[in-house]
Amino acid sequence: MKGPTGWVKLGLLVASLAVGVALPYLVDQFLVGIVTLALITGLFAMSIDLLAGYGGLVTLGQAGISAAASYGVAYMSVKAGAGHLAQVGVGLLAGLIVSAVFAVMIMRSSGVYFMMITLAQGMIIWGLSIRLTRITGAENGLPGVDRPEFLSLYWQYYWFVLAVVLICSAMLYVIVRSPFGLALEGLRESESRLLVLGYNTSLQKFYAFMVSGFFATVAGILLVYLNQFISPSSAHLTASALGVLQTILGGVGTLVGPMIGSFIVVYLRNVVSQDFERWPTLMGLLFIVVVLFARRGLVGELSERWRAWLTRRGLAVPLR
Amino acid sequence: MKRSWWIAGWSAVLAVTVWWILQQMSLRSFWTQVLNGLSFGAVLFFLASGFTLIFGLMRISNLAHGGFYLVGAYIGITVMGLTGNFPLAVLLGGVAIALLGLFTERVLLRPIRGMEKPEVLLTIGLTFVLGDLSLAIWGGDPTPVPIPEALKGPLQIGNFAYPRYRLFVLICAVVVGAILFFVDRRTRIGALVRAGVDDQEMVAGLGINIKAVFTGVFVFGAFLAGFAGVIGGGFLTVLPGQDFEILLFALVVVIIGGLGSLPGAVLGASLVGLIDAFAKALVPELAFFTLFAPMALILVVRPHGLMGREA
Repeated sequence: MKGPTGWVKLGLLVASLAVGVALPYLVDQFLVGIVTLALITGLFAMSIDLLAGYGGLVTLGQAGISAAASYGVAYMSVKAGAGHLAQVGVGLLAGLIVSAVFAVMIMRSSGVYFMMITLAQGMIIWGLSIRLTRITGAENGLPGVDRPEFLSLYWQYYWFVLAVVLICSAMLYVIVRSPFGLALEGLRESESRLLVLGYNTSLQKFYAFMVSGFFATVAGILLVYLNQFISPSSAHLTASALGVLQTILGGVGTLVGPMIGSFIVVYLRNVVSQDFERWPTLMGLLFIVVVLFARRGLVGELSERWRAWLTRRGLAVPLR
Repeated sequence: MKRSWWIAGWSAVLAVTVWWILQQMSLRSFWTQVLNGLSFGAVLFFLASGFTLIFGLMRISNLAHGGFYLVGAYIGITVMGLTGNFPLAVLLGGVAIALLGLFTERVLLRPIRGMEKPEVLLTIGLTFVLGDLSLAIWGGDPTPVPIPEALKGPLQIGNFAYPRYRLFVLICAVVVGAILFFVDRRTRIGALVRAGVDDQEMVAGLGINIKAVFTGVFVFGAFLAGFAGVIGGGFLTVLPGQDFEILLFALVVVIIGGLGSLPGAVLGASLVGLIDAFAKALVPELAFFTLFAPMALILVVRPHGLMGREA
């Protein structure tokens, strides 16, 4: 533990874990459902943060990958009638294959070019899902994806999602602190310097995209079992952009920020929008306001304030 | 030598594709699809040329272009409903979106000038707001922009009939394209824009107000998007969600053609229009996917597009 910051972080972690585990005893089914959804979209946003926050590659097509995984599961469940192991297997395979194809396409691009290509990629998955009627059921989607027996109740599934998301978060935490994660930050800061140092930046982008795609795939599989339904809108740019909004709202490059951003967005969407009909307008305005006035996000802003407070009290040295 | 091999190879691919398509359909429907593709490509060209000009000069990827298109189309419908004057509708659609573009560039984008990623994210947010407010104002029913009597119905050439309106759109694209190329290559404004693309600081150092050039190009690009909305709305029905769909097509056009390149926009728009028309006729289930394959291929072989330059 280094200084007060470490203790505060540990305390927050333990407190949120305790609340997280005890949640089904504390609140009703509706709220548990919302928290389950927020955990899943939080994992999705963290997969975006790995690329955007650490690699400096803002992806606008991540929902295409999750949706491919969801469709893999739903197809095996609804149309093929396969067992749950096969469903998850095909879901994983679908997500990873789509990630690999996308990764090959983006590995030589960066910056705005990367954003535009990923946008087109995600929207093409959306296009496929509304046209490929035999597999995807077009606009009607694929309803009736049943969960396994031991996860059928809402609180059972909640604990399962909590466990999976915790494991994935721990993996992401390790990844961003590994040499691979540090090299990824180098990619964000200066690709040309990294090239000169002998890094194969194209290959690095490929790997980063695959790792991020894996977590998006897991999120897609969790989501389809939560909703028990998948439709083309989950692959749309709106879904990808929502993930990016969660990421920048919470704080890019912090991993915990996207999760917090996800809770805020899911809450706004499910609770506030019951009384307010124009959700996309709200979302768009939130986007504009965050981009203009709060680019560091909630966590970035808070940790800055905390550091300043510590410095005033002589408990920490200022950065730089 | 190497270049001629490439040309020979691509010609062979093209010939085989055309031969294969002609096995699937009659010569008459082949030409119909060619014209369908090119007239859709014409609308894409209006959009993509503005997009690519803005990007080339300011490095802003204006993803609100799809939203501009949709709002332009709705304004066209409203003006046609009030006056029934088609040229006025086209003009007002363009001008209204030009004003929207002025607001976007001067008020929204100015504080984050030069920050590439925030700029893109802001224009996405703007697209959501525009799309949702259009839904609130004009409702969700698909409606076309009403077109004048003179452009309705087919034009008969021998025993070949083709909708007049689509031919009109095609002619519009040729005229607009010719004007764009002339202005770009032969006038002082074009020279300023081209100089700005190459070296902004040098242009500013010569005593030219580069910020005014930026605003001018952005507003002009927005005008073209609104113009495209009204013209395109005449044969592509206007409905919510089309902002993102048309944006996808425009993006594929500039990715294939090369960002910042006007000839690239012409080439990309024609290619994407043709691919889309034939795909819809031959393999309707894969209509969007057929855009994906050429895009993937080009990105792997030429990451900066067919006519693009290294960034």
